[in-house]
Amino acid sequence: MSQLTFETINTTVLNTLSRPGKGYWSIIALLFCGAALGASCWAYQIFVGVGVAGMNTPVHWGTYLINFVFWVGIAHSGTLISAILFLFRANWRNPIARAAETMTVFAVCVAGLFPFIHLGRAWLVFYMLPLPNQRTLWPNFQSPLMFDVIAISTYLTVSSLFWYTGLVPDLAIIRDRSKGVRKKIFAVLSLGWSGKTGQWLNYSRAYMLFAGLATPLVISVHSVVSWDFALSVTPGWHTTIFAPYFVAGAIHSGLAMVLTLSIPLRKILKYEALITMEVLEAIAKTIVFTGIIVGFSYATELFIAWYSRNSIEMETFWWRAFGHYAPEYWIMVVCNTVIPLLYLSKRIRTHVIPLFVISIFVNIGMWFERFVIIAGSVAHDFLPNAWGHYRPTWVEGGIMVGAFCFFFFLFLLFIRHLPSVSMTEMKEMIHKTE
Amino acid sequence: MSTDAIIVTGLFNTQEDTLAAVEKIQKQGFEVTEVHSPIPSNALARALGRKKSKIGWFTLCGGITGFVSGFSLAVFTATRWSLIVGGKPILSWIPFFVIAFEFTILFAVLGNVLGIVTQVGLPDPDYEINYDPECSGSLYGIEVASAPENLDSLKDLLHHTGSLKELREDK
Repeated sequence: MSQLTFETINTTVLNTLSRPGKGYWSIIALLFCGAALGASCWAYQIFVGVGVAGMNTPVHWGTYLINFVFWVGIAHSGTLISAILFLFRANWRNPIARAAETMTVFAVCVAGLFPFIHLGRAWLVFYMLPLPNQRTLWPNFQSPLMFDVIAISTYLTVSSLFWYTGLVPDLAIIRDRSKGVRKKIFAVLSLGWSGKTGQWLNYSRAYMLFAGLATPLVISVHSVVSWDFALSVTPGWHTTIFAPYFVAGAIHSGLAMVLTLSIPLRKILKYEALITMEVLEAIAKTIVFTGIIVGFSYATELFIAWYSRNSIEMETFWWRAFGHYAPEYWIMVVCNTVIPLLYLSKRIRTHVIPLFVISIFVNIGMWFERFVIIAGSVAHDFLPNAWGHYRPTWVEGGIMVGAFCFFFFLFLLFIRHLPSVSMTEMKEMIHKTE
Repeated sequence: MSTDAIIVTGLFNTQEDTLAAVEKIQKQGFEVTEVHSPIPSNALARALGRKKSKIGWFTLCGGITGFVSGFSLAVFTATRWSLIVGGKPILSWIPFFVIAFEFTILFAVLGNVLGIVTQVGLPDPDYEINYDPECSGSLYGIEVASAPENLDSLKDLLHHTGSLKELREDK
């Protein structure tokens, strides 16, 4: 880090914005096709009806809501890195903060699609909004599902504004090194930023307030998502641990996704001097910490079910571990709590390949965690005659693949058109360490 | 600053050089009207006598407005039909607090954005006046106002304080 100067930071980041090659556009085209496949599956579901999905009695919450919770979780780590670690003055966040914030914005966009898909008749989504209407009906704000509508839309608005505010000084750098139409576009986007002392004074204050507001928001949003489940009386859901359990899980999965994105980003865009091995190591150590919290939550759930002596709770958790969805449960346990412990070895957490592979395992484990919680609980609730199984259909699979492709499509477009490392924050960091 | 003053911008390599130059220029009786820098600096803000940011007040007002609006919206919608749902009272303060909290954050952030627009002075269509594009990259630019007859002595002073180059803009 010591050999970095303001000029080398500018050059390294601005070089990533040069005209991309055919390989890049081929991948973009492939991801676009994947996203189009997802859109086609959704269109098919709209024409034929929501019955084409595997959801049926007793499991009416399937992969659409599993993916919703998964993507909201992914989003959370971006805010953790950009806001919470900013308030704690953890300088290792600076090289990855922009990529993480961008991940947040795109992940919330993808997450926000799933309730629409799950609704079936997506054009009636405005029923959830508090709009004056001829039916004189209003949303019931006692319902956690309505908390969710407000929380997710607030989160999308706040994270987008936070992301754009952080971009403004960097957009001015691009503007000042561009010509012609590109200069005009970036002049508009940078809002005429000129780095005056008064501008910086107010901007820094506003950015800190943004971070201060985003921090309670991010914790509240995943707590609200957890209450979609915990406020019902379904065994396996109706527990007070759900809010912190979901928040810890969200940060765990989000950090893993940050590693999954940062490692190829670092290699392809030649960011080795900016996103150093120490930064990746710090993320890996945080994943060990969040993995232990998640593991503790799994153990607490089992202990409380046993300690309560409630036969239905005991049966639910016994069935989770040894019933129909036992493979999914053990994938969850192993991937989220056992495999991340490999990061305790310095040899493993200082090599990009094991770092990357383990992050993929955590992503898989966290998806299965949502599967086990959501589908596993409603498949096996109070009455044996109401028990059943759920298996996703090809339509749900296609939409899920489409969602992943759409996310990576947006992210790849971003990294070659806007600065994926914050030049200003990197300069601040090296100025402090000088 | 008189209306016939001329603005000269000197460019400096580091924040330390810039701070030292600002002090020397001010001691010589010239007025430093602005400093452009690639990163924020509290020391520069203090040297220029900038006052504390007022953005927090915009954020606070936004937050209070949001809290009242969120609570009012929840109460308003619940009392349109007054139906008891799920055994909860019509006015359920705890669930309504969640809505009020989310609105508090949303409106506080919108207040913050309003603060940026009004206090930071963005968007600024005239940003190019007295501005050198190098100031967004790695250099620091000090804008100094001078009477036309003192222009040469100001340029000498900037040169002696370590300025890499001087740009002149007639007001």
